[in-house]
Amino acid sequence: MRRTNAFWGLCLPLSLFGQVDTSLYNSLQIDEVVVREEASGLSLDSKSATLDLTISRTELKKAACCNLSESFETNPSIDVSFTDAVTGTKQIQLFGLAGKYAQIQVEMTPLVRGLLANSGLSFIPGTWVQSIQLTKGIGAVNNGPESMTGQINVELLKPEDLVDAAESPDSEGRGDVILNGYVNQGGRYEFNEAYGVRINDKWMVASLGHISGRQQGTDINGDGFLDNPLGYQVNGMLRARYFGQNGWEGIYTFHALEDVKKGGQILSAFAPGTSVDDLWSSSMKQGRVAFTAKTGWVNPDLPDQSIGTILQLYSNEMDGSMGNAIDPLHASSLYGIQNGGMGQFLFRHGWGTWSQTSGVLLTADRYDFDFVQTDLGTTMGWTEVDLGLSTEWTYAPSDRFTAVLGARYDWNSIVSHQVSPRIHLRWEPVEKHTLRLAAGRGFRNALPLVEEWGRLATNRTLRSQPSRVAHIMGGHSLNMEEAYNTGLSYAWNFVMNYMPGSLQLDAHSTVFGQTVVQDYWTPGQRYLYTQFTSSGEPIRPMTSQTAGASFTYQLNKRTEMRLAYRYQDLRVVYRDETGIVSQNVSLPAPFVPKHRLMAHVSREFQGDWTVDVTLQRYGEQPIPGTDPSAYPSVETAPAFNLLYGQIRKAWAGGDVYLGIENGLNVMQANPIDGAVNSQTGEALLPSSAHFQTYFDATRIWGPIFGRMVYLGTNIVL
Amino acid sequence: MKKGLLLLAFMALPALAFAQKKIEVTFQTDGVCGMCEKRIETALLNIDGVWTADWDRESHATYVVYNPKKVSEIALHEAVAAVGHDTPKVKAKDEDYAKVHACCKYREDEVQNAHHGG
Repeated sequence: MRRTNAFWGLCLPLSLFGQVDTSLYNSLQIDEVVVREEASGLSLDSKSATLDLTISRTELKKAACCNLSESFETNPSIDVSFTDAVTGTKQIQLFGLAGKYAQIQVEMTPLVRGLLANSGLSFIPGTWVQSIQLTKGIGAVNNGPESMTGQINVELLKPEDLVDAAESPDSEGRGDVILNGYVNQGGRYEFNEAYGVRINDKWMVASLGHISGRQQGTDINGDGFLDNPLGYQVNGMLRARYFGQNGWEGIYTFHALEDVKKGGQILSAFAPGTSVDDLWSSSMKQGRVAFTAKTGWVNPDLPDQSIGTILQLYSNEMDGSMGNAIDPLHASSLYGIQNGGMGQFLFRHGWGTWSQTSGVLLTADRYDFDFVQTDLGTTMGWTEVDLGLSTEWTYAPSDRFTAVLGARYDWNSIVSHQVSPRIHLRWEPVEKHTLRLAAGRGFRNALPLVEEWGRLATNRTLRSQPSRVAHIMGGHSLNMEEAYNTGLSYAWNFVMNYMPGSLQLDAHSTVFGQTVVQDYWTPGQRYLYTQFTSSGEPIRPMTSQTAGASFTYQLNKRTEMRLAYRYQDLRVVYRDETGIVSQNVSLPAPFVPKHRLMAHVSREFQGDWTVDVTLQRYGEQPIPGTDPSAYPSVETAPAFNLLYGQIRKAWAGGDVYLGIENGLNVMQANPIDGAVNSQTGEALLPSSAHFQTYFDATRIWGPIFGRMVYLGTNIVL
Repeated sequence: MKKGLLLLAFMALPALAFAQKKIEVTFQTDGVCGMCEKRIETALLNIDGVWTADWDRESHATYVVYNPKKVSEIALHEAVAAVGHDTPKVKAKDEDYAKVHACCKYREDEVQNAHHGG
């Protein structure tokens, strides 16, 4: 009998690879049942009180490349944008607001935060990702205070994902090794590895590896600058998993990475005799070492009762420079180190229709910076400690209604006492028609210079208001950023012509009480406002209003389509200093299109062929102008379309994929100002007066590199 | 924009076959577990003309929607039997039954009991 029960265990899982996560930390989220459908790569959880979207491994395969910052191409909620034309940093936007206002976590621990806030997304290789949970709107209160626009949690491959795949009866022992290779026309190559092995009936271990880089540069637009930076990334993770008796489990992870990027001018674009020292160049080196221990216990007699602890220690480092010593006024360098950690304890208990999750979260970070720019240089360091207590109560009297009330209290060493209440309501008045309402507050402490590092690729003069250098670094002299988010949504899941589909409408509003504002509207200048003073009405320095509609439908068993539209209005308060008395003006934020459209079709063919096509339309967006006599100096960047396509052929032992990015070959005409002599067309050096006055690589609104073909393969052993 | 939309339309249009007449059938199919479910459903979905297929582990009922112009009902039973599962109209050949995984051997009492007891 015992033997056959083991058989039953083997037989049971229809979806071993796409299983519901057994991790306790997921069960501790406020979503009570995470139903993951294998059929669709994007699934909306209809039972969750928050607006949760799960992006599966299947869906991630449709994205052209390679890491998390690029994995949202087929997602209607998240936009990907560039910060500048030299560092190659891609950032995401949610509701038109920068990714830093969403709380991005890896298995409930921070990675894209602090020194890695601007580039951390590129340190999560797509091959490692098991699934992504995206919450639009304010998220669960227990995960920390930093969620303002939403939460993104990335679950990586765990040892059991690999071991179970190989042990499942129909896999023929295949699945514990995944190898991935990728090359593209832009000279980028990538190699990924995942390997899991069972040690005994309690322990499993896994390794995740990543090497990528670009050694060959291109300059398609002939401006003397590399289209993409050169460099490499080495990234590795070792994981040990424990499943014990009596409901105990744990996962212990060691993570280390190094990333080097060098961008700027190419020697071959200039006359013979030019030296490397004459060129404008940028470099950034980042590193991280981290150890994470997560241990959980589910009461075997009372599955509604569980305890979870997370402990993480890390050290992040960055070392960057920009410019050329010939023009010291505009050359800058930044060195930073962040040593810190977090500890979290969560307790969940349920009584029928009620359940509660409460937690204690302690985070501590020591920052040390050395910033050099002729008239702004500074060395400073500080420690930020945050101790938060949170509790969240869920009342679910029926399948049709869920109310979640939560609040957290934070004592923060920089901004002292903070209270952040949050509320989530879900109501299904008619079956398959779901309404959701969410509202709440979040706050964070900014590191303006680190977060906007790429935006130093300009000869605009950096000014701070009030004019204290410390403000642009962060820490005690800077006030927090805080926002209130409210969201209302309606979702309808229907079946038409025997096939499933969904319609979703949502409206979100994010209102900032305080924020750091970047002002590019004065030509030649770039202001950072860290405080707004007003004698009368309270000033809301930044507000985002968005409304979206998305429609998904499975046309038949092999064809899936998605259509989405979003309107977003992001307004920021700037200070017009051109008059005798400076006055506040409210203007649309730069680099945020008002209208966004997406269409996606994916179709399977006989013989395990899959074809995906995605069209992304970016509407017109305001960008900083160059007219020196105007305030605000605004130009309008044209609307454009990005077309992505991919063909994939799968076998039992893996797949091969060939794809195209930016299929319509859209390119921003002159992404870098002041780089080229407009009469002769020859590239200019930083020693030239024209370059020194006008150089600006931050007015970037579209692709720099045109059409790009790529080829990749996954091998499953 | 136009090129992109054309390409999308080209991919989506062949699927817009709303006018096709479809038939729903339900028949019993022997099996025990999730692996069986996947095997039965995959066999049916691989047939051209089958619109959707679902096997229920509790009731052992197979629900199929198909286009009668492209496929006959008996062909559905034959496809299921060919991967080793018995239906009221077609019993799986012994050599096909032999290919199913050990834990899916629904004709054996021990396996049946294990799944019901588990």
